[in-house]
Amino acid sequence: MFQKEGYKKIRKKNKFVQQWPLYLLSLPGILALIAFSYLPMAGIVLVFKQYNFKGGIFGSPWADPIYKNFKFFFNNFSTAMRSTGLTAMYNILFFIVGTIFAVSIAVMLSEVSKKFFIKISQSLMFLPYFISWMVIGAILYALINAETGLLNQILRSFGKPAFDYYAYPKAWILILVIANTWQSCGYSSIIYYGVISGIDTSLYEAARVDGASKWQCILKITLPLLRPTIVILFLLSIGNMLKGNLNMIIGLTNLNPVLLPTTDLIDVFVYRSGVRNGEMAFASAISLYQSIFGLILVLTANKIAGKFDKESTLF
Amino acid sequence: MKLKTKKLSSDKLLIAFFYFLLTCISLICLFPIVFAIVGSFSTEAEVAKNGFTLFPKTLSLDTYKYVFQAQGSKLVNAYKNSIIVTVGGTLISIIVTITYAYVITVKDFKFGKFLAFFAYFTMIFNGGMLPWYLITTKYFGLKDSLLALMLPYAMNVFNMYLMRNFIKGLPYELVESAKIDGSGHFRILFQMILPLSKAGIATIVLFYALQYWNDFYLPLMLINKEKFYTIQYILYKMMANIQFLASNPSSSMASHITLPTQTIKMAITCIAIGPIILLYPFVQKHFVKGVTVGALKG
Repeated sequence: MFQKEGYKKIRKKNKFVQQWPLYLLSLPGILALIAFSYLPMAGIVLVFKQYNFKGGIFGSPWADPIYKNFKFFFNNFSTAMRSTGLTAMYNILFFIVGTIFAVSIAVMLSEVSKKFFIKISQSLMFLPYFISWMVIGAILYALINAETGLLNQILRSFGKPAFDYYAYPKAWILILVIANTWQSCGYSSIIYYGVISGIDTSLYEAARVDGASKWQCILKITLPLLRPTIVILFLLSIGNMLKGNLNMIIGLTNLNPVLLPTTDLIDVFVYRSGVRNGEMAFASAISLYQSIFGLILVLTANKIAGKFDKESTLF
Repeated sequence: MKLKTKKLSSDKLLIAFFYFLLTCISLICLFPIVFAIVGSFSTEAEVAKNGFTLFPKTLSLDTYKYVFQAQGSKLVNAYKNSIIVTVGGTLISIIVTITYAYVITVKDFKFGKFLAFFAYFTMIFNGGMLPWYLITTKYFGLKDSLLALMLPYAMNVFNMYLMRNFIKGLPYELVESAKIDGSGHFRILFQMILPLSKAGIATIVLFYALQYWNDFYLPLMLINKEKFYTIQYILYKMMANIQFLASNPSSSMASHITLPTQTIKMAITCIAIGPIILLYPFVQKHFVKGVTVGALKG
């Protein structure tokens, strides 16, 4: 008995000796997470502060009354709601259009048989994913600006007047959806393509024997089997519903004030009022609202995912 | 028999249609890039007169010559900054990410579970842009330096999970047998895991390199001095000036003045995507493999 206990002790000690490298190896990651993720979380107290430059986040005096910044927030309620609505709208549109394209590409790629063709077209379709929004914005400008843009040259050659996209906010709903789909559809098709190549081929063989055409196989076998993946990715995207892509908006529109009615996403709004105009505490109220609602959305989505399919919960 | 041939021909038609559609989509994906390259070789005069086209009458190197004469030192400096940030940043990120990913895959390490959650939680909740901005600039003093363009991206949790999934996919028996042989964790990681996960490492190297190369968020937030501008940020600055002029509906200037910088923008665009286009053929096959493995196992 004593022997056993002693053995246990030695093992415990051994375990720590064995495991010290693990603590060391994870240290850089822990530090990075604390520095750039957890400290900013603590920085949320900013929302209750009367921010001044000298005091910084933690040294500035408390706001008086403590909910003052939220009052500002509610005074700007319509702008905040506009941003929320826009962010959610774009994310839904991006998801729907993006998924249609990604799934179609994956299905088509899995049906064509020439390896060489698959390789080349896949490489070309991934290419946009590697290009920054700033570069896309510069090219977009050359395509659609009113004076020298390619699109307007074509319009003019048909005798139609040029259209200044940079003066019509509504056009940008379409432009942003197209740009986003263009940039990411090839990349997002990888996941679906992977799922399709994992489907048991005997399913197709059986269907062929029964006289099903390729098109029927796609409708009756491939798409239903892709459904769980689509649902999971949809749930994931719900969690990100309130995240706006600031890079995209700055790259494509450069925060053009004329276009703000359709491009003022929450992140854009926070950036404009906080970093540009220095209304730190006020903007952080919106930021906090975004973070908290985002968290609620993730948790809800995860719960739904659990009901749908136990395997597919995110954590 | 008749029915069968009919079915076959309709199948063939469908496949032909797929080939056609995929070709179209591929070309659409390629088009803007070709367009930018052609634009950069067009002459300013022709663009001013006829606008951008895919088939300019004359091709010239004038724009590039002008760009390097007028802005040469600035561009070279920005390029140098971009390269330093990309190489240095990727190196830092790779070390931080792989070590962390390895630690949370070790099975009998209790603290690993906490670490996995510790990383995961930052994906679903964050303090937002402003606290991040204030902490980075005021408390860490990461401002106007090249380090400021690297350290904030040291750990990307998504890439870390990609790597973890890749390591998890390796045969566990190998690691187990190494342990029985008495190998320590450093040895297991560097002599067994790393050589086996080349495709996974290639993928996250690519992701990180792209993130650093394409980034203009960090320069936008943290850089004021021209000395530290990156190539993306130079492009941003140029676009900012031009678009402001062109999109101001109240000023009548926009429609009357032909801006002299049209082809220059395209040239700088090409300079910015140059390395990506050049390296792309070599890395993309690793990328597809790595992403498929990482994503499916997640």
